[in-house]
Amino acid sequence: MTLAFKFFQIVGEMSQLVRQIWSEVRRKPLYLQLIVEQVLQIGIKSFPLIMIVVGCVGMVMALQFGVSLEKFGGKMYVPKIVSLSIIRELGPVLAGLMMAARVGAGITSEIGSMKVTEQIDAIRALGTSPIKKIIIPRVVGSLIALPILSVMANTVGVYGGLFIGYADLGLDPQFYFQKMISTITVSDYLSGLGKSFFFAFFISVPACYYGLKVTGGTRGVGKATTRSVVTACILIIMSDYFLTKLFLTLEHWISG
Amino acid sequence: MNVIDIKNFKKSFGKKEVHRNVSFSVQEGECVGLIGGSGAGKSVLLRSLIGLEKPDSGEVFVEGENVAPYTEDQLIEIRKKVAYVFQNGALFDSMTVYENLAYPLREHTQLREEQISKRIHDLLDEFGLTANDHVYPADLSGGMQKRVGLARSIIINPKVVLYDEPTAGLDPFNTVKIQEMILRLKRKGTTSILVTHDMPTAFAVCDRIYLLKNGMVGAEGTIHDLKKDPEGLLSQFISGQGV
Repeated sequence: MTLAFKFFQIVGEMSQLVRQIWSEVRRKPLYLQLIVEQVLQIGIKSFPLIMIVVGCVGMVMALQFGVSLEKFGGKMYVPKIVSLSIIRELGPVLAGLMMAARVGAGITSEIGSMKVTEQIDAIRALGTSPIKKIIIPRVVGSLIALPILSVMANTVGVYGGLFIGYADLGLDPQFYFQKMISTITVSDYLSGLGKSFFFAFFISVPACYYGLKVTGGTRGVGKATTRSVVTACILIIMSDYFLTKLFLTLEHWISG
Repeated sequence: MNVIDIKNFKKSFGKKEVHRNVSFSVQEGECVGLIGGSGAGKSVLLRSLIGLEKPDSGEVFVEGENVAPYTEDQLIEIRKKVAYVFQNGALFDSMTVYENLAYPLREHTQLREEQISKRIHDLLDEFGLTANDHVYPADLSGGMQKRVGLARSIIINPKVVLYDEPTAGLDPFNTVKIQEMILRLKRKGTTSILVTHDMPTAFAVCDRIYLLKNGMVGAEGTIHDLKKDPEGLLSQFISGQGV
C-alpha cells in the first residue's frame, strides 16, 4: 500500500467518523452528563500543564524581547509584543499542543484499550452507540474545554510577561497593563479563541479515530497513541498558518 | 419454529476464507453448541447474529428477519432481543458492577432507580455475587467477571443468548456455576447458542451440536446421536482425532 493511498484512506475514514458524529449529535438521546464529565476531566487534566507552559513562555518572551529591544531603546514595546503574540498566537497554539499531548493521548489510549478488551463491541451488543456514548462526549467536551483553557492560558501568559517586565526589566506594571489594553483589540482575542475551536477538533477527532482503529492488543494501543499525538500536533501547526490568514482576511473584510 | 436461521453464510478476512458456505438453524428454546478447531470462525458466526460482523454474502435470520444488511440503528431492536456474552466479560472497567448491570436497564427500560436497584441486587444474589455491587471489574476474579458479564447480558430478559466460550479458563467451581446459569435460562425457555471448546459443558447444556470444519458445517447431531456413533466426525473431533 503506497503512502499516498494510506493517507487518503485515513482522511476518508476520519471524514466518515465526522459525518457519523454530525448525524448522531443531532439525534436524541444526547448524553449531557457524559459531556459535562468530559469537559471537567479534560479541563482539570490539562489545566496545570497548559498554565505552566504558557506562563513560562510569557515570561521567557518578555525577557528575550526586553533584553534584545533594550539595545535599540525599544523596551517599552515589550508589553505590546508579548501580549499580542500570546493572545493571537502562542496561547491557543501552546494550549492546543499541550492538550494534544495530555488529553489526545489519553483519549486514544482509553478508547484503544476499550477496543482491545471488547468494551466497544459490548456497547454495540447492548443496543447502544459507541459514537454517542464514547466519541461525542469527548469531541464536544474538547470543543468546550479548549477555548476556556485558552482564555485562561492567555491571561496567565500575559501576566507572566508582566511579572518579568516588572521584576527583570523594571517596567511599571500600570504602564505594562495600559500598553497591553491599548494594543489588544476584540478581534485579536476572537482570532485566538476561534483558532482554539479548530484545534480542539483537530485533537479530538484523530484521537477518537485512532482509538477506534486499534488492532493488535496493547502494542497497538501504544502505536495508535503516538500516531494520534503526532497527527494532532501536525494539524495544529499546519492549520495555524491558514487560520491566521483566514482570520486576518476576515478582520480586513469586516473593518472594510 | 426457528429463531435463528443462517443460510449460505460466507466470510473472508483478506485472502483467508473462513466460511465457505455455512447454514444452520436453531429452534425456539433450544441450546445449540457450536464447536470446531481454533480459527474455524465460530465466534465470527456468533458475532454476525447481532451484526458485530457482516457476512460477505448469505442471510442471517433472527426471528424471521434477515439482519445481515441491517444498519447499526436497525440492529438496536435485534440487540435487545439477542444478548451476547463475551468471552472475557467485556465489562466497562470505568464502571462498578452495579453500574455495569444498570447500563442496559437505564438504556432500554423505563424502570425507576429503586426498581433498577432491586433487579440488580436480585440478580447478583442469584449469580452468587452478593455484596460485589460497588466493586470495579478489575478487582473481580475471572470467573466473577464472566458471571457479571452474563448477568449484564440477560438483565433485560433477552429471547436468545449467545455465549462465546463462557467457561474458557475457568476453574471447575466457576465452570459448574456458569453451566447452572445456562441451564436455568434454558429452563425459562431462552434460546441459546454456545461456542465452546469445553466438551463437558457442551454435553451438560446443549441439545444439539454443530461442528464447523473447512468453512462449512462438517457434522451435526444431538448428544444422543454422538453417544450412539463413536466413529462419527463429531465423536472423532471430541476425542481429538477428527479436525
